[in-house]
Amino acid sequence: MTQRDIFFVANEVNELGGVGRWQTQMARLLADRGHRVTVVGIAPAHHPMDLGEPPFRTETLYARRPPGRPRARRLLGPADPAVRRHEAHMRTAAARLTTLFRAARPGAVIIVAQVWAMEWVALADTAGHRVIGMTHESFETCRKSSRFARVKKYFKDVDRLLALTQEDADRWVGEGLNNLGFMPNPLPIVPDTPSQRTEKVVASIGRLSHEKGVDLLLDAWAEAAQRQPGWTLRIYGKGEAEAELRQRCADLGLEDSVDFAGQTDDVPGALRASSVFVQSSRGEGFPLVLLEAMACGVPCVAFDCAPGVREIVGHEEDGLLARPGNTFELARHLVRLMSDEQLRDSMGEQALRSARRFDPETITDRWEELFDFLER
Amino acid sequence: MSTVAPEPDVSVVVIVYNDEERLPTAVGSVLEQTLRNVEVIIADDCSTDGSYEVAQALAAAHPDKVRAIRLPENSGGCGEPRNQGVKVARGRYVMFLDSDDTLERNACRNMVEAADRTDADLVSALCVRVHTDSRHDKRVQWYPWLYRETRTLDSVAELPDLFVFDTLSTNKCYRRDFLLGNDLAFPRGIHYEDLLFSAQAYLAARRITLIPNTVYFWNVVQKTSVKSISNRRNEISNFADRVEIHRRIDAILDRQGQDELKLRKDIKFLKHDLVLYLRELPFLDDDYRHRFAELARDYVQDFPEAAYAELDRVHAICAQLLLREDWTDLMPAIDTLLNRNKISAPLTERDGRIYWTDRYLDDDEMRSVLDVTTLGYHAKQLNQMYLRNRLTEYTARGGDVVLAGEVVNPLHTIAPGAKLTAELEFRARRRSLQTFTFPVPAPRHQGDVIAWRAEVPLARRLRPLGIVDDVWDVRLHLTADGKRTTSRLTVGAVDLEHADDVPVRPRLTRLMADRLEAQVSAKGHLAFRLTQHSRLARTGRAAVERNLHGRPARAAKGAYRRLRALRRDLNSGTRKLQVYERMLTRLPVRKGTVVFESHLGKQYSDSPRAIYEELRRRGAPITPIWSYAGERPEGFPKDAELVRRWSWGYLKALAQAEYWIDNQGFPLRLTKRPETTYIQTWHGSALKRMGFDEPGLRMLSEPEQRSYQQALDRFDHFVVRSEHDVRTLARAYRIPEHKLLRTGYPRNDALVRARQGAASNPEAQRLAERLGIDPDRRVLLYAPTFRAGSDGRVKDFEFPFDVEDFAARFGDDCTLLVRAHYLNRLTLPPSVAGSVIDVSAEPDITPLMLLADALITDYSSVMFDYALLQRPIVFYVHDWEEYAQDTRGTYFDLLSEAPGPVPRTAEELFDVLGDLGTVGAVHEARLKEFVDKYGEYDRGDAAAQIVDRFFGPAGEAR
Repeated sequence: MTQRDIFFVANEVNELGGVGRWQTQMARLLADRGHRVTVVGIAPAHHPMDLGEPPFRTETLYARRPPGRPRARRLLGPADPAVRRHEAHMRTAAARLTTLFRAARPGAVIIVAQVWAMEWVALADTAGHRVIGMTHESFETCRKSSRFARVKKYFKDVDRLLALTQEDADRWVGEGLNNLGFMPNPLPIVPDTPSQRTEKVVASIGRLSHEKGVDLLLDAWAEAAQRQPGWTLRIYGKGEAEAELRQRCADLGLEDSVDFAGQTDDVPGALRASSVFVQSSRGEGFPLVLLEAMACGVPCVAFDCAPGVREIVGHEEDGLLARPGNTFELARHLVRLMSDEQLRDSMGEQALRSARRFDPETITDRWEELFDFLER
Repeated sequence: MSTVAPEPDVSVVVIVYNDEERLPTAVGSVLEQTLRNVEVIIADDCSTDGSYEVAQALAAAHPDKVRAIRLPENSGGCGEPRNQGVKVARGRYVMFLDSDDTLERNACRNMVEAADRTDADLVSALCVRVHTDSRHDKRVQWYPWLYRETRTLDSVAELPDLFVFDTLSTNKCYRRDFLLGNDLAFPRGIHYEDLLFSAQAYLAARRITLIPNTVYFWNVVQKTSVKSISNRRNEISNFADRVEIHRRIDAILDRQGQDELKLRKDIKFLKHDLVLYLRELPFLDDDYRHRFAELARDYVQDFPEAAYAELDRVHAICAQLLLREDWTDLMPAIDTLLNRNKISAPLTERDGRIYWTDRYLDDDEMRSVLDVTTLGYHAKQLNQMYLRNRLTEYTARGGDVVLAGEVVNPLHTIAPGAKLTAELEFRARRRSLQTFTFPVPAPRHQGDVIAWRAEVPLARRLRPLGIVDDVWDVRLHLTADGKRTTSRLTVGAVDLEHADDVPVRPRLTRLMADRLEAQVSAKGHLAFRLTQHSRLARTGRAAVERNLHGRPARAAKGAYRRLRALRRDLNSGTRKLQVYERMLTRLPVRKGTVVFESHLGKQYSDSPRAIYEELRRRGAPITPIWSYAGERPEGFPKDAELVRRWSWGYLKALAQAEYWIDNQGFPLRLTKRPETTYIQTWHGSALKRMGFDEPGLRMLSEPEQRSYQQALDRFDHFVVRSEHDVRTLARAYRIPEHKLLRTGYPRNDALVRARQGAASNPEAQRLAERLGIDPDRRVLLYAPTFRAGSDGRVKDFEFPFDVEDFAARFGDDCTLLVRAHYLNRLTLPPSVAGSVIDVSAEPDITPLMLLADALITDYSSVMFDYALLQRPIVFYVHDWEEYAQDTRGTYFDLLSEAPGPVPRTAEELFDVLGDLGTVGAVHEARLKEFVDKYGEYDRGDAAAQIVDRFFGPAGEAR
């Protein structure tokens, strides 16, 4: 394998959150393969993660977060001095990127993980290198956000724009972008021992927020618990909706079978202590926690709310998917797995096997193949 | 940089024949591919222009990427040059490109990526046809539904549509080993070589991958000139080649035992291939028609029954008439084939069914083919009909044109004594600023047709502008006893080719054009085109065309577009909302104004209407304003101000109203000012989960839910008719207790009063008379709920029982009123006339309920209202499981709570209907319970209570 100069360019170097964790993991994996990796952030992190002594170089363009792009006044259009000043400012910062890129050996790869960062990369000189754009969320989520138009504008001509799944990529192609590929995220953990699936526990892990739909889960649980007494729903996580959820739980008379277990630092441990995993989110991108559950041999029940979910969980193979919002169906699926030990075992074992598709080494191979392919 | 692979990833074979001008563009589109490791092989089919020299120059300029080969003699087709190109190709994959087309920049990369990733022999992707002669390079995707998503097939049999429809060879990427290993090559000396080649490739491929990416731009120039007779004859002789290719494909399918693919291909042949030729038949003489029919018959007569069974009415009629060489009946059928909503034949009614022609009705098979009852022609009024109007004469003399024709008179809709008038209208196809009409003297009723003839002084009267209105369409407006029908002139056998052109004087002078030339549109209709005859006109027009692309013209067009955009913007929803928010709601409230709306303005009905009528009855001093949707208000009261939904007038009325009264919801984004009182009457109790109990709403994000909640918070009062409503609707829409009006539904006052023995409702009586209901017969109302497809759109209505059976069994003493969703149109055969009546278009259901002696429904909320009458209800719940397990769920189990029989099959339904007397007696007590539970507050005075409370006993607004 050719060893390359690889740049990650994102909004921040070490922001706490999905993209930040992914970036750190991926940069580490590629550095371990002997590539020379630089992680560039546009601005300092809001909530920084401690990276320790990373095996890669880090750079941040701005010492303080730059102001948003001013909206051009109608009559002046692009000639608006405020816009021009802002652009000049951006160009100065982009010049630093240019310097970094020019210092790299030809055939370097620039991975732009977020579209905001791409606004600077677009101004920099990337000659001789390949630029890979990424959209780290489902097409549908992006479509509802202000990022949608910017993705179409700034990523239109990059060498490859990577979505999380084939299905998301296809949707982007439908929007007229023709440079789409897809790349799943790697498994963040490599668990040692899988779950024995003997505890009568259904686990849910995630922030207690509206988006994660725990309120829907409680409705489904009210039906499921009634048909499978003796089981516990253990809800890990904290968040702004906690009080409301506890109240709802009490209203539904579920206090005996629902356990709010708070946030956990030991996700594999929590998974090992459960036999079924459930996710009732209103929206998702590429939910790693499902992957983690599967890697622990725990079969998943989830709302089929995004292509990323379908990509990870194979319905009737290694888990069960319900139509989004259909709490009756979610409950039926839970009951099926709770009541059938054999089904739990066969799906759990299958989950263990299919999670290997997202093994860090496998995903790193795919990245390296992509680098070679883009050179052709 | 790392080493480039020794062999190219893709060889693109570019074929060229006498196209030196465009060849470099085609080749350039390959050289500029984002995948750099590609080679180009230019295969010249022995051109007589400089194509080969251009090819050699390109090869010399890119020695490592471009090679040129030349066939020793012209092969006359696309196949042989491609074969020769493949022979010398070195790439892992092969693609084909024609010299007049181009590849999308990422085409090769996307193809190779998909092929490598899925290990496919063949990758196929989206082709886009670019109409280079259209103003804005109109683009049309080629069978886009095949390419919505990436998918991999282990055999083409998994997706017969791909095999059957996408027969291009150019939007594909082939593994070279696969082509060589299977000896895949294009046939020589025959048209439609692509068809055979792609069929062979599809069938040989171990794996096929489809990707949604656009890869190929197929540049097409639409022939704008009139097709000549010889052109048309040529096409017929090409048919022989097409049939031959199909026979060869059939042989392969037969060898492989691919019966399903063969069937799909047969169906496609009947539906599409045949139609391409059928459309030429009206213009050809009997000799050619006969030759074509023989060729076709020879091939299609062996098609299995199943292939014919898949055809829709009109296709099947065309196929059968063609096989019989019945030109008289076929020509109108072809007209309908090209113009689907056109009625082309005189039609005939026999035994309560409608037939295309009466000619073959002795033959049972033909009888079923010719049965067009389901097309609903007979249910249309003359002004709803689009009729075939066959041109029978066209002569141009000097500046005058004589036109004559015959408008078909289906089922003798136009009575012999009808008063007939007609006029011809000429209108420019693109945004006409002017139309020209010419009188047609005395149309003559001739039974099956209305004949007309007119002399049109075109040269004197028709004054086009020039340039912007090049094409003129002709319509005939025929009025019979006040009903007007508009038709176009179908050309057919009339000779336009040898007719003289008509001189014309455009307003922009004869430099633009000086002649009007008669031509046939794609749909077979007469049209005129401005042409340039004299040298002056030709050079003048050429100069204008040049200038049209010049800078001043571009600037002018740009300014025009900006103006239009500005106008659009001013009338856009967002702008209206802004004005509503910032300006209209700051205007003073107009005391006493009440804005009424029912079902989003679609009707004058329901509780808002009942409240309105109560206010009117009391002579309350209010200013009522009714909102209506659609072009024109239909059935709305004459003594109220009417405003169209979302119009400026509507927004102003809402902004200044003292009261809003509606039953569904004023536009969600319109905020309500605090001075306005919003009375939400709602439109029915719930069986299905609603509002925030419904998964669709629950899955919305927090901000989306918040904005919906804000719209709900506009309600100041919410009418309920039972505690069931409080537990379900009020909870689901989060209506607090103090907003509830426990008055019952104003719309149901009439039902309660009828139950209490009030004198018969005059409106119901008028309705009975209008519908022609025999007072001696029992009346049944069938009001099912509508079914929505997975996309949420209302599905077409289908009877879940045989309506003709119903009429046969109960027609003598029963009248069935059928009320489908107002979006649905149902077609009732004439055989059930009198015993089954479609009442879907009636705006208000209450009078229908009053008329009905019993109700048949399934899950519709009409059950809760009708129960008030204490008359029998039959719940025909043939799809309960499907309905109940639908993602929404229900509030209670209808099967156990229904206060009436719940037949599950048509037979059970008919048995129940046969014994309705018993049904009433058996379920009487349960019906009472049902009303107590779901309609406890409906006591007949809801409208009065509401008016009392808000407008005072005297009816004065407080």
